[in-house]
Amino acid sequence: MKPAAFQYHQPSSVAEATDLLAEYEHDAELMAGNQSLGIVMANRLATPAHIVDLNGVDDLDYVDVAAERVAIGALTSHRTIETSGALADALPMFPAAAEQIAGPSVRNLGTIGGSVGEADPAGNYPTVLTALDGDLHIASADGERTVAASEYFIAYMFTDLAEDELITGVSVDRGPFPVDRTGMAFLEQKPAAQTWPTISAAAAVRVDDPDASAPVVEEARLALANAADVPLRVEDAEAAVEGESLGEEPLTAAAEAASEAAEPGEEMHADAAYKEELAGEYTRRSLETAYERATDAADTTETTTS
Amino acid sequence: MMEFDGEFTSDHPRDELWNYFTDPEILADCAPGCDEITMESPGELSATITVGVGSVKPTFDVDMTVTRADAPETLEMEVGGDASRNSFEAVTEMNLVEDGDGTIATWEAHTNVAGLIASMGQRALGSVAGRIVNNFFEDLEAKADEGVPAESKLEAKPEAEASLEN
Repeated sequence: MKPAAFQYHQPSSVAEATDLLAEYEHDAELMAGNQSLGIVMANRLATPAHIVDLNGVDDLDYVDVAAERVAIGALTSHRTIETSGALADALPMFPAAAEQIAGPSVRNLGTIGGSVGEADPAGNYPTVLTALDGDLHIASADGERTVAASEYFIAYMFTDLAEDELITGVSVDRGPFPVDRTGMAFLEQKPAAQTWPTISAAAAVRVDDPDASAPVVEEARLALANAADVPLRVEDAEAAVEGESLGEEPLTAAAEAASEAAEPGEEMHADAAYKEELAGEYTRRSLETAYERATDAADTTETTTS
Repeated sequence: MMEFDGEFTSDHPRDELWNYFTDPEILADCAPGCDEITMESPGELSATITVGVGSVKPTFDVDMTVTRADAPETLEMEVGGDASRNSFEAVTEMNLVEDGDGTIATWEAHTNVAGLIASMGQRALGSVAGRIVNNFFEDLEAKADEGVPAESKLEAKPEAEASLEN
């Protein structure tokens, strides 16, 4: 099918875009890479009267890796994030998540702002931002505000974003993730290549001393995608491995905590019990991988990217 | 048939809350996605409400009939909505129970959803419906906190009975 008729707007600044949103509110949809909305509109599930295409807002396409904080503009493509050497060094979870999104054509066009705006609970960046305690930066005609990822994702594809607001970018504080003793992993289980994951796990692990014979986990972060109606941070799994040298026992405890916390929806190819089991298994694998990378971090900071 | 339910705790006594729940102007302000509510009679309201999941958000023409209004305890409504390629009908019941100085509001809704939005499934709709109802209660509680005046204007439509036609 073809989409229903709509009026097309292409603002060239955030201010122009937010003015359009203020004018049309719920009659308008924002479009970034158009990797999801176009499908929904072609099926006439969504029939917005106005499309506000953000592709002319060049200011929102950036990756800014500073000593304290990483900031990524909303219009930055998955491909740019996937191939950013600076991100690979600072917060390798971002490129690891980006490179597993769909296929190359989607990654060339799709954007981080679009992904976070759509807020599919199976999405990669929502889970990354939840794991890393990221912030979302939001603008409207009334001004700007910042909301924590933990507050932003409210229910299935339902967020704190108001009808007249747009996401300008995301940012993550680097404080908890010093590169010389932190490891990260983003692992997906997919039924087929280039599709949505059945479960994904995002893990970050910081150790006390990567050169020790059995480094102790100082802090762990674990979030799951598609395990609940929002990205699911599993603090019980984090607690299970913190203060421990990562071995079989804490990993098993973390996996059990994740299976317990998961409240997955059933899918055609995966019932709830299977997804709970996967949530545990991918928690185990991602934490173990992140830990191995953390303990290798001191020697291979320059080359470890994913 | 989909069933949704939930509970909300208020700091306000139920006699006071009742006025907020039965004042169409308050309802119009608090109901998410609600452009306007018109009171056709003390037992009948009509409204335009935009609600949905993600970018799928049809605008419904909604008719509400009050089928039971036992102040300050039970409010039951039959609700029907039509939008382009979507429709729903629902019976909702809310009960207010005194809890110390405050009130516990429990609600449940039995719904039939048809059209495109039905394909979102119970899980997606339930997740969003629960959140929307919570937003509604929170906004209404905020009005009561601010002391916005509210006047009970709704009563049961004579001889109206709630039913879901299947």
